[in-house]
Amino acid sequence: MQAFLDDLAMMAPAVLFNLYFAAASIPVGFVLAIFLALGKASSNTLINRLSRGYIYAFRGSPLFIQFFMFYSLALSLNMTVWRPLGISGFVLHPLFMGPLVLVLNTAAYTAEIFYGALRAVPRGAIEAARAYGMSPSQQFRRVIWPNLIRLAWPAYTNEVVFLFHATAIVYLALPVVGGQKDLMITAKDLFERDFNAFLHFPVAALYFLAVSLVVFFIFGLIYQRLMRHLPQPGRVRFMPRWMR
Amino acid sequence: MFDEIAFWFAYLTNGKHLTWYASFQFTIIAALLGGALAVVFGLTGATLKTSRFLPLRLIGTTYSAIVRGVPDVLFFLFFPLAFEQAVEWVVATQVCTVESIAAQSSAWPPCREANWFLGTTEYLLLASVSLGLVYGAFATNVIHGAMRAVPHGQLEAARAYGMSARQVLWRVHIRQMWVYALPGLSNVWMLIIKATSLLSLLQIADIVLWADRLGAPNFLPAVGLVHDDWRWRYYLVLFVFYILVTWLSEKAFEAIMRRAGRGILSEARG
Repeated sequence: MQAFLDDLAMMAPAVLFNLYFAAASIPVGFVLAIFLALGKASSNTLINRLSRGYIYAFRGSPLFIQFFMFYSLALSLNMTVWRPLGISGFVLHPLFMGPLVLVLNTAAYTAEIFYGALRAVPRGAIEAARAYGMSPSQQFRRVIWPNLIRLAWPAYTNEVVFLFHATAIVYLALPVVGGQKDLMITAKDLFERDFNAFLHFPVAALYFLAVSLVVFFIFGLIYQRLMRHLPQPGRVRFMPRWMR
Repeated sequence: MFDEIAFWFAYLTNGKHLTWYASFQFTIIAALLGGALAVVFGLTGATLKTSRFLPLRLIGTTYSAIVRGVPDVLFFLFFPLAFEQAVEWVVATQVCTVESIAAQSSAWPPCREANWFLGTTEYLLLASVSLGLVYGAFATNVIHGAMRAVPHGQLEAARAYGMSARQVLWRVHIRQMWVYALPGLSNVWMLIIKATSLLSLLQIADIVLWADRLGAPNFLPAVGLVHDDWRWRYYLVLFVFYILVTWLSEKAFEAIMRRAGRGILSEARG
């Protein structure tokens, strides 16, 4: 029991790194995903092809490989680009590289969700907006977006939880700098010290479960607020469809 | 020009590269075995979930909820280590003597005789089983949903023919379920493919580990610097490889779904 409490205390600072990675990449990925979804729905052939290709590539390949690819690419540019600019310590730092790759990855998954929701926005609502003489940007802000985000929210909640789960592999692909260890590395280090797999990994799993539940709770509240104009608001359900 | 081609041919067929090409077998084996096991665990989980006996139902529900609530990589690392320790513990209760336990200095295993050394084959099998367990939880949900999508009349007709409960389950229910489960199972298969990139975490010299070794700056005393840091090129190759596999699987599943959906109402096809 004491060992369990010790583990809980030791992993409390570690979960902050996972939270940081998720919190740093979710807002940027969200904004990027809106543009990607609009690009995928665009009638401009070039923009359409590029967005489609981007989303397909990043959803069709493992995040683990993406981490290695971008980190080694950044490493090989170190001598010629980052070092002369004097930003090599910043660019190659996991606290920068991690969110960067997570953003690129989550943007693709989120864009696919938004694209699906965009196609599900009722045609009549858009036609009505056009009949009112709204400009395209007004249509988007006043009619399409409010519909889209309500349709996409349950799936987006799952994506956020899975992004949080994906932060577990950041430090398995990137080097650990100083004592900055996330949950996975802490559990692994503790395991290598006393080989007690049945204690350290479940404790880390508990942290992941706890944060996931908190995310579901908060996103569920937001969903209820988004749907407050409807008599019976739906519930956000734990229904993961994709993972990386 | 000719020299260039000769160089690249020699470079791409040197021993290390051949080992790299051979290591693709680990990824393929893990994906196929993991996928098959995921379907088995998924079927088990789904039948547990629909069981009329409450404890069994609880086991099915907890299994699919817990495994999906935890990062796949955590479970992927945990299961082989836990399995190894469990086996070593069972062995230790049989072979360890008081003296050998006293002689053991490290925390685990209890005595040296109980140590179980895992090679690539063992780790590959364990990795496949843990892939099967993790994605079996996803398949459980998919199959559970698909079983409920089978029209009720079909089961009633089977019962009316006098089939026993087990016959209804195996001859009608599960056979008709596949059409509804295929779109979801194709998603699970894509997840398994992507998860095979994690094999190197279990000390298997898979494609990712070899890409890292081959791409590292290469210096030969006889030739000098063959190439500097090329790792990103090797990872780019893997990136494209996985996208191609995803694309191929998509096409394959489309064909399977077309075939499985013959003679069934069109809304069943995803």
